[in-house]
Parts: sequence; C-alpha cells; structure tokens
Amino acid sequence: MKAPPVTISCRDLTLRFPVYGVDAKSLKKHLARVTVGGRLGSSMAGSTEVTALSQVNLELKAGDRLGLIGHNGSGKTTLLRALSGAYEPDEGQIEIQGRIAALLDLSLGIDPSANGYDNIRLRGRIAGLSSREIEERMEEIGEFTGLGPFLAMPVKTYSAGMQARLAFAAATSVEADVLLMDEWIAVGDADFQKLAHKRLLKLVERAGILVLASHDLDLLRLYCNKVVRLEGGVASPVTDIRKLDELLAA
Amino acid sequence: METATHMLRTGRRGTLFEFHMALRDLRASYDRRGLAWSLAWHDVVSRYRGSILGPFWITLSMGLMVLGIGVLYAKLFSIPVQDFLPFVAIGIVFFGLISGMINEGCETFVNASGMLSQTSLPMFTFVWRTVLRNLINLAHHLVIIVVVLLVYGYWRTANVPLALLGVLFVIVNASWLSMLVGIASARFRDIPQIVVSIMQFAIFMTPVFWKPDRFPDRHAVLDLNPFYHLLQVVRAPLLGEAAGGHSYLILSIMALAGWAVTFTVFALTRRRIVHYL
Repeated sequence: MKAPPVTISCRDLTLRFPVYGVDAKSLKKHLARVTVGGRLGSSMAGSTEVTALSQVNLELKAGDRLGLIGHNGSGKTTLLRALSGAYEPDEGQIEIQGRIAALLDLSLGIDPSANGYDNIRLRGRIAGLSSREIEERMEEIGEFTGLGPFLAMPVKTYSAGMQARLAFAAATSVEADVLLMDEWIAVGDADFQKLAHKRLLKLVERAGILVLASHDLDLLRLYCNKVVRLEGGVASPVTDIRKLDELLAA
Repeated sequence: METATHMLRTGRRGTLFEFHMALRDLRASYDRRGLAWSLAWHDVVSRYRGSILGPFWITLSMGLMVLGIGVLYAKLFSIPVQDFLPFVAIGIVFFGLISGMINEGCETFVNASGMLSQTSLPMFTFVWRTVLRNLINLAHHLVIIVVVLLVYGYWRTANVPLALLGVLFVIVNASWLSMLVGIASARFRDIPQIVVSIMQFAIFMTPVFWKPDRFPDRHAVLDLNPFYHLLQVVRAPLLGEAAGGHSYLILSIMALAGWAVTFTVFALTRRRIVHYL
C-alpha cells in the first residue's frame, strides 16, 4: 500500500490558552467565586484567555523545510506543539499526513535513576517503537552515544554532556516523515557535535518535512527553503527563504 | 509522537464531536496498550530500584499488619483467629488496591505533563498506566492471600472464579474513580489532599478491620458504602460465602453511572487538560 504524500495543512488555526493562575487552581478560590457570585460568567470558570495563535494558515508538502522566526512569546513553540498534536486548536484545523517526530524537549521521558539502556527503551516506546524495533536498534543507538560501558550505569551518574548524548541518540533514532524542532539541537563536545550534526541532517533528509523554530538566521538560511514569521500569534505568509531580509524588514 | 500516519485536529465542533474524539482517544490507548504496560512496569521497577525485596517490602509490611491486627483484634472481638485473620488479610490487600488506584490517580495527568504537552499520546494511556501499576503491585501482595487461604484451609471452599469476577468489578469501578480524580486534580490542586483524607476515613468506615456481622441488621454504613460492596465481591467468594446479589447490582450500576460521568467529564475537558498542567 502506497502511503499518501507527506503534507501539513493548517487552516485558520487559532489557539487560545486559558491561563489558570495559581489562584484559579485552588478549589477554595473557585468555590468562593461561585458563592460570591460575581465573576463566574466573565470567562470560562474564571480564567483569562490568551490568544497564542490566530488564524494561521500553512500548506507544506514533502521537501519543504520551514523555518519559524519571531520574538520570544510570538507563538513558535505553541505552533510546534500544536503540530505535534499536543495542543488542540480552538478554531480551524490541522491535518498532517505522515509520522510526526517532535524533538522539542530532549529530556522527555528520561528517568535519571534508570540506566542508559532502559532509558533508550523507554524513550523508544514513547516514540511509538515496538520492543522488537528498539532491540534491533539498540546496538546502533548505543554505539552512537559513545558511552560504552556507561550505558549500563544509572543516568544520574552521567555528566550533563553525557546525558545530552544519550537523550539525543535516543530521540533521533526514530523514523519520521515530519520533524519538528525547537532550535537546532547542538549537544556534547566538539567531536560529538559534528556527529550529531550529521545524524540530524540525515534525519532531516529522510523526513519529508522539517519545521524548525530558531533565532539563528544563518542556520535557517542553511537548512530551510521557506520561512514564516510569527508576531503575536499572527503568521506571515509562507515566504521563500531568499526573501528573508525583506520579510524581516517588513 | 504519533505512529499513525494521519493526524487531524480540529476546533470545537459541538459536544457530540467531543465525545467522538474522547472515544478515539480511548481506542488509540487500546492500540498502544503496550506503551501503558511499559510505563507501568517501568514505574514499578524504578520505584524499587536498588532494593532487594522491591515491591515485596510493601507485601511484607502488609503481611505484618495482617498478622498483628488479625491476631490482636480477633482477641479483642472474641472471634476465632482462623475466622478473622483471613478476613483482614483479604480486606487489607484489596483495600490497598482500591486506595492505591484512587490516590495515585490524582497524579496521573500531573505527572505526565511533559509527555502530554509535546506528544499526541492518548490521555487514556496514562490512566491505564496507573491502573496497571497498581495491578502489578497487587500481584505481589497476592502472596499474603494465598498463604492465608492455604494455612487456614479456605482453599477447599474458596470460589476462585467468582472472586476473579469480583476483582473485575473492583478494577472497573476503581478505574473510573482514578480517572475522575485525575482530571479534577489536574485542574484543582486541593483535590489530592481531599482524596487522601477521604480514603483514610473510608478504611475505618469500611469493614476492613471489623466484621460486618457486628451489625445485627444491615446498616447504612454497609449498604451505602461502595467500598464495602467492592470488598465484599472479592472477599466473600474467597472465604466460601456468598457476596449477596445486591452488591453485584450496586456495583454494576456504580460502574455504568461512574463511567458515564467520567467519560462525559473527560470528553468535555479533554482538550483543556494539557493546559491545566
């Protein structure tokens, strides 16, 4: 069976964040609000809403490498999380054809008290690999980390750099059609960075679509062919990367 | 991360649509049941890493409690030990299962916040993780019950298939309670404290350490207490008694009504849970 081509399509994607302040999370405050009887109607259960993305339209097809730029808080990570399926739109829709891998937080699912092998297994399971697939890749992943005998030791005994190596190797062992990244990942010492870079490039090549949020314009020029600028949750049209300067000037 | 090759996420399209999506979440969690199992197993292994007895430490402390209370209270209440100790043993082990599922249910979604905020894993996966983790613990504690039933000769009269049916009733009911407090705890951080207090209160109000036949007539403390019925459908068959049809009836109604409420709450809050965390 031939899989349909890899695509991402967002139509009028709007995402609102209810902000439950520390106050709102307390039941007492919540009940008090009901009994006092003033503010309940103001918004849903007394929380304020922030519009994180509004009316975002995106159409990407296989081969597209999209860079996301924008100030802090402009909605880049929110858009990535929406694309990963974690946040559901309030309005509009997201449709993705292809397997998604979100490399947003490398430390996801890392248990410091477990050893390296167990962490690779756990991470693989979360990423949707079967136990058999993980065991098949174990050797390759273990070799790539370069941690050797340390893999049998608890991760909490690792240095920060070693932990990053493990997390990186485990996270990038997935096969995906859509790769979501929040900043280009650079971990480890100089040698490892070179290896990591190569591995990531291979992953990007295999993936049909890359969405990369970054502040590093040179990086984006290097890897992306399209770019979208987010400002206060509003997205610019998808622009060719060669027109990046015009987009920034606008 | 999604293993499926197609993902569609849409804005609000009415209540019926939310139920449809909640059902899809449930189905997805079934398709990825291996993941829930892996997570649960990992929880147990990592909690007891480096300890020699592992979960059997809890078994040991439960066993000690059974022995102490079984012998002491039998004396206090003037009941033969062979009657009372098996009764207490089953009560403590299964009340432990119920309260474990409910108390830990409070953390189901809170602990999964990292995964929920960047993957599209089904929410139900984490509910099953809590349930399965407690079932793994139960498997260790069953040693106590097996030993007690063997020592006091109840294995001759125990109706094991009926007791297993009772365990099923317990799991089905405790799971919805677990999920409901999980959603509530994600939204309101006071809930876990309230739940712990209620469960502590419940263990004394429920015939765990005392026998229900101390009441000459059926009493509201028994009839209106869901935990009594939950224990009864497991304990009575194991002790070679009949659980009473009304316990099964009450538990069936409770399971249906409870899941209906829980599923409705889940359907209505599903897209918000990740923002609660």
